[in-house]
Amino acid sequence: MHTDARTLESGTVLEGDLCIVGAGAAGISMALEWVNSKRTVLLLEGGGFELEPAMQDLYRGEIVGQPYYPLHAARLHYFGGTTGHWAGFCSQFDPIDFEKRPWVPHSGWPMRREELDPFYARAQRLLELGPNEYEADEWQRRDPGLVPLPLGRRAVWTKMWQFSPPTRFGTKYRDAIVGARNVHLYTYANVCEVEANEAVTAVQGLRVRPLGGKEFRVRARHYVLACCSIQNARLLLASNRRATAGLGNAHDLVGRYFMEHIEMPGGELALAQPDSAKMKMYAFEFGQTKARGELALSAQVQREHGILNGTASLEPGTPGEEAKSTFQFLTPQVLEAMRAWEKGGRVGPPPIPSPEGPRADSSAVGPSRFFHLATRQEQAPNPDSRVTLSAEKDALGMPRVKLDWRLTTLDKRSMRTFYELLGRELGRTGMGRVQIREWLLDDDRTWPPFLSGGWHHMGTTRMHADPRQGVVDADCRVHGLGNLYVAGAAVFPTGGAANPTLTLVALTLRLSDHLKAKLA
Amino acid sequence: MPMDRRQFLRVAATGAVVHLTSTACRSHADAASDAAALAQPELLALVGPEQVREIGRRYRRAVPAEHDAEALRAAILAASRASRLGEAPRVPVAELVRSDFAEGRTVVVHGWVLSVTEARQCALFSLLHA
Repeated sequence: MHTDARTLESGTVLEGDLCIVGAGAAGISMALEWVNSKRTVLLLEGGGFELEPAMQDLYRGEIVGQPYYPLHAARLHYFGGTTGHWAGFCSQFDPIDFEKRPWVPHSGWPMRREELDPFYARAQRLLELGPNEYEADEWQRRDPGLVPLPLGRRAVWTKMWQFSPPTRFGTKYRDAIVGARNVHLYTYANVCEVEANEAVTAVQGLRVRPLGGKEFRVRARHYVLACCSIQNARLLLASNRRATAGLGNAHDLVGRYFMEHIEMPGGELALAQPDSAKMKMYAFEFGQTKARGELALSAQVQREHGILNGTASLEPGTPGEEAKSTFQFLTPQVLEAMRAWEKGGRVGPPPIPSPEGPRADSSAVGPSRFFHLATRQEQAPNPDSRVTLSAEKDALGMPRVKLDWRLTTLDKRSMRTFYELLGRELGRTGMGRVQIREWLLDDDRTWPPFLSGGWHHMGTTRMHADPRQGVVDADCRVHGLGNLYVAGAAVFPTGGAANPTLTLVALTLRLSDHLKAKLA
Repeated sequence: MPMDRRQFLRVAATGAVVHLTSTACRSHADAASDAAALAQPELLALVGPEQVREIGRRYRRAVPAEHDAEALRAAILAASRASRLGEAPRVPVAELVRSDFAEGRTVVVHGWVLSVTEARQCALFSLLHA
């Protein structure tokens, strides 16, 4: 069922068993799990079915740390969420991503990778991916044309990726959600406050506003925040009527540990014996390629060198040509214009030509012996990299956010070491040579102006068994609040080398099973 | 881990001085022939003469003790003899390059991750094909 919340009378109270806040990849994945169940599910989406400037405007925020993408362009505020412009890159996190690594401060998940495996299998289907298979050898067996580079797996291996069509959740699953008798979708329903009971031990309701001045309430037995890392943190911090620091924030953790994947062109590869047929494994063509490999360092090598996890994709190029970072694709001038636009009071439309990254348009690998190496690396969890509330308010009276994205020396050292080790391995095997780009050499503190993330917002309500070290527990329940949960990449303690969507959907399915058991 | 660049420069400089003296008795003709052969790094086929020349120039600037052809030739040959790859007095340079990579005797020059031997080869190339 679907209701436009703007048609509700002020003072209306909606009631259900489960309330999901946000209808993006996480929120819709969870709602689908409950279709035709005996429970009443309320799915609240702040936007409508189409992108609207007024809705995007609610996501505007300040950038005070490293330069970053305009927040209202990085996330889409409508049914389907940011799947409305994602590129469909999916891969699983590696076992080492879940480990507590002494060289990575604040690392370690309160669960092992194996616990997520059955949910990864289910997530594959939702994201319209192929077989639940991420071994390069297995893909070669299925398609003999996919040949991994013969590098010794001790140091470098081929990490497999699969590509969603990409699934646009807003269109793919709209009928299933709207047609479900027990799932009530409310569009234009922006949650402005999570209301806790007097003892701040449980949530007793949500205060919800569409644009236009009305206000209504939602009551449910369990609540799931699924409106992305930045907005989840914003909502918890702004819900400060009974807890002055915000809900779930007794230990000043909400909004901290904001993470991105650092997506940068880091080097060039010159192959000794170019053979385009053998490079099919690493080629990508948007909308065509089902699976491809990227080069990654083994867990053993990461341990030996005390570095973060990351991969490098191979993109055909020509000597002397410099690849661009994901954000650089939009040119430094556009980014500068965007910062100026933000600073100047955000007058007029934002100067963004396209939110898509450069890889979406990459062509198939040709006969070139030269390849640009583009890194996607996890960011070291950093409590100073954070989301806080701004003094400015949006049209609904909600404080806007301030993003202070910060990196550490480990981030840059890891990326440089990655290329040094990759260069050694390719040299050892006689396969080619690697050139590290100038910006990666020398000091580990400075970043070039084309520093880029991948629009992957993670952290802010990190998962940890200890409430002093995490906002949610291993079940994604907010510590101290009996019926409030968080779904999505906001709960990731570390970001892994893979894009977050597959893992966040898998975690959401796991949370859904947990809630089904609770409500049984 | 590849050798730290500062550490590498120290090691390379020391090695070059030692081998300069030990090879002083070799004939001039042998030396010229060696140098010409050694100044053909595999890298030439991968990145072309301009890049190799630039790498060579940068290497020579970074390692003044190996600034001339004789010093470079001596350093490469000395590394070849000192290699643990076999009993032969000299191993093929290509094998030495692989062995450098395998054992972490690498250096970053002009951003390229290179074996120490091939970096010297590039330097030699930059002198003989300036």
